[in-house]
Amino acid sequence: MSAVSLACAFATALAETPPLHREIDALIGERLTTQKVTPAARCDDATFVRRLYLDLTGIIPTAAEARAFIDDPAPDKRARLIEALLASPAHAIHLARVFDVMLLERRSAMGGSTVDVAPASWRAYLAGAFAENRPWDQMAREILGSDGLDEKTGAAVRFYIARNVDAHQLTRDVGRLFLGMDLQCAQCHDDPRFSDYRQADYYGLYAFLERSKIHPLKPKGSALGELGVGETKFTSVFTAKSGSTAPKLPGGGMIADPVLAKGAEYRVAPATKERPVPVYSRRQKLAEELPKAATDGFAANLANRLWAHLLGRGLVHPLDLRHEGNPPSHPALFQRLEQWTIDNGFNIRALLREIALSETYQRASLLPAGTSGVPPEDTFAVAGLRGLSAESFRWSVLQATGRLESHLARANDLTDWQARLSHLEALERPSAGLLAVFSGLPGQPESGFQPTVDQALHLLNSAKSLPLLEAGPGTLLERLAAMQDPATVTEELYLAVLSRRPTADESAEAAAVLTGADRTGALKSLLHGLLLSAEFRLNH
Amino acid sequence: MNVSPTSLTTRRQWLAGAASAGAAAALASSATARTEPKPRRQLLLLFLSGGASQFETWDPKPGAKTGGPFRSIPTSIPGTHIGELLPHTAKILHRLTVVRSVQSNIADHFQGHYALQSGRIAPGYPVLGSAVAKLLEQPDDVLPGYISIRRNGPKAYTDIGDAGFLGAKYDGVKVYDNLPPENLVRPASISPGHASAADRARRAADERFRQGRDARPIAANEATFSQAEALMRHREIFELAQEPASMHDRYGRHEFGQHCLLARRLLEAGVNCVRVTHFDWDAHQDNFYWHQIRCAEFDRTFVTLLDDLEQRGMLDHTLVVVTGEMGRTPQINNLGGRDHWGRAWSMAMAGCGVQQGLVYGSTNDLGTEVAEDPVTHGDLFHTYLQALGIDSHGNYLIDGQTNPIADPDATPVKALLS
Repeated sequence: MSAVSLACAFATALAETPPLHREIDALIGERLTTQKVTPAARCDDATFVRRLYLDLTGIIPTAAEARAFIDDPAPDKRARLIEALLASPAHAIHLARVFDVMLLERRSAMGGSTVDVAPASWRAYLAGAFAENRPWDQMAREILGSDGLDEKTGAAVRFYIARNVDAHQLTRDVGRLFLGMDLQCAQCHDDPRFSDYRQADYYGLYAFLERSKIHPLKPKGSALGELGVGETKFTSVFTAKSGSTAPKLPGGGMIADPVLAKGAEYRVAPATKERPVPVYSRRQKLAEELPKAATDGFAANLANRLWAHLLGRGLVHPLDLRHEGNPPSHPALFQRLEQWTIDNGFNIRALLREIALSETYQRASLLPAGTSGVPPEDTFAVAGLRGLSAESFRWSVLQATGRLESHLARANDLTDWQARLSHLEALERPSAGLLAVFSGLPGQPESGFQPTVDQALHLLNSAKSLPLLEAGPGTLLERLAAMQDPATVTEELYLAVLSRRPTADESAEAAAVLTGADRTGALKSLLHGLLLSAEFRLNH
Repeated sequence: MNVSPTSLTTRRQWLAGAASAGAAAALASSATARTEPKPRRQLLLLFLSGGASQFETWDPKPGAKTGGPFRSIPTSIPGTHIGELLPHTAKILHRLTVVRSVQSNIADHFQGHYALQSGRIAPGYPVLGSAVAKLLEQPDDVLPGYISIRRNGPKAYTDIGDAGFLGAKYDGVKVYDNLPPENLVRPASISPGHASAADRARRAADERFRQGRDARPIAANEATFSQAEALMRHREIFELAQEPASMHDRYGRHEFGQHCLLARRLLEAGVNCVRVTHFDWDAHQDNFYWHQIRCAEFDRTFVTLLDDLEQRGMLDHTLVVVTGEMGRTPQINNLGGRDHWGRAWSMAMAGCGVQQGLVYGSTNDLGTEVAEDPVTHGDLFHTYLQALGIDSHGNYLIDGQTNPIADPDATPVKALLS
């Protein structure tokens, strides 16, 4: 069967079942009904355009983009915007930033830049993959299988290098980040809380990884070497019962090493300054076996993480605690997303599209009128108030102040992600302080809104970041200075910073302060105040 | 009164409900009206980073082949001796609780820094300062809950451990070399007029945005700005020059002394938890020379600090903990050093919630093993919390997940508690 006819058959099959976004709404709606929870109304266009830009490109829209969308009368404009943003280079770069933080959790290798893989190459690897919508199973194979030397996928080895190739840390994080299971408690004993977390599962995963070793490269960077021998033994701290295991995925069977003659285990035998390469690589076996539909948790983990990316929390939450003691909020939906992910070949863009099309995603953060209290988050009845990530905050400040838009306007052609990414580098230094103070703790998943005193002090007083507020060529303040009518000025300011038009009250208040002698000063204060506001710091 | 985490959770939930119903002012006043005032409890952690030798401090073994060259001296507890390098401390031992039977079994700086502060081996848990900042947090706190004071030097293992799953908010504010936190001073480019106009704009925006929404994240945004403003307003806490020269002399005009003086000012100003790191205890060479220097600094400053806290009426609500990440080996190596040791070592406490004049546990004659009453890092963590009036058997409730505040496999050491 040719690729074309396959695609046609696929399209026909799809046409017969309701699209996933309707199934999502039906299954979420069922539980709302049984729990007697009233969902929030559909969000307005201004809220939608800001939310979608933040979720799919990591940056708030420009004033012009927000205005154009809000004023567009076409009934299908939301679906068209979803399509356009998913296809944009900004989307690929954003997903690279999101997966960078998700997969590395802001770790870097001990020994710094002489040891670590260059962060820029790692992010370029990710952005390239997302730009071509590479299926997640293929990406997982590359990340888990990379030895650091392949020209195209070598940088993917940073997953290992940033963890110093520590087999325990890797076991935990492969379980958490690729399967949604934190096997940590099983390291020392069978987790007494959950029967589906077994010590043998932990050490089964560990056995894939423990032979891999860091191998320094000249002049800098690292690759992976691997031993061809070594058995995995473990002892329970409670029962002193010990065991040994061959590599094994959680819930799967043991995978025996092939029998090799003594002395024939290596392509390159271990020696001083040599990178050992075994004939049979357990790590390659992991890369081959884990990213499969049949692996318990692999598809579900991706679906749950993409769901959480758009809805602010997983169906299983926290994202890495899938076990019988922590069931999904919507079991049928969880299963459906898992199956859909498998049926659609681990297609990240397609799943994001379907979730974004759902009414569940498009709800307002305003509580339904007449209700008291906030409905439980796991009902998805009301849009959550999600903190902007450090990356989104940085780029959105640059956008709101007009600096990003004018900088992009100076480039000729930014239709591909590489050109855009390298052009953006010039804006990174002046905003590095923002990124640093908003970044979470290394080794911790980032979730929720966690404002800190350091951030507040930085936003109020930092000599590094305050220059971003100043007027200058191509900035919002310069644009506003050229406008006369206070109503026009206020509208442009609100569209640029909050992606919406001001209310009547806000216009009146702004008009009152803008009549003073120092109009530029008053505008700067207003801009600063809006950037400090919860409305700006939250994705709502 | 015990501050149980359950009641904290309940109060938070109630606050959240009230917040979504009404304005911030109403929230603050009704919260104080409904919650009975709790006695203030504070924590001061003096962390001897690198690992102090128990032989040269709390558990001397003079004459034993492992004992080293120093003598032991009598203390204010009849019959009890400690190392001669702590002469001032010896005079006030009747005010301390000393544990001579710490058995953490960790002989690694990184793991030790984490385990002795978090009471766990498994990663991801909050360290003591973060945990206590969370557990003692009150709605009307104006200053940050946790401030950590250290030398601005190489980080290595000294900064191991953080707020873990409690998140960045409880990671605390870091003070290096006694300098105020970054960005505490408004730069010249920002006029007072601009700052207050921006603040008005933010408040107005937040007030509008709050209407009809979940008020919790909006209140969290507000709280960081009020804490920032409080720190800016109270910058003088960091101005040690305001302390009389005699106070500087008493605390000691060296790094540790000055850091402890700042710690006292922070506690006095209302910061719930303060940690001071005392460096350079990792004496793999010339252990005895190093301990003379380290102990001399520690000894006078520590006693001054306790006296000062007592005179100011602060010691009855402040728990002072003195520990490092491990002890040092009984064997003296061929460089005259002692190496890493976690099997049998010592720590001390004073202040609220703990016994006075108690020496708990013991080691064998050579100091190689715990002889009586072993205490683990997990047990110590439970004990600190209990001393602060926190039910250490309670749970955090975060993201709908319950997580034990302290290791359920460990227990508080009741004998240490008053």
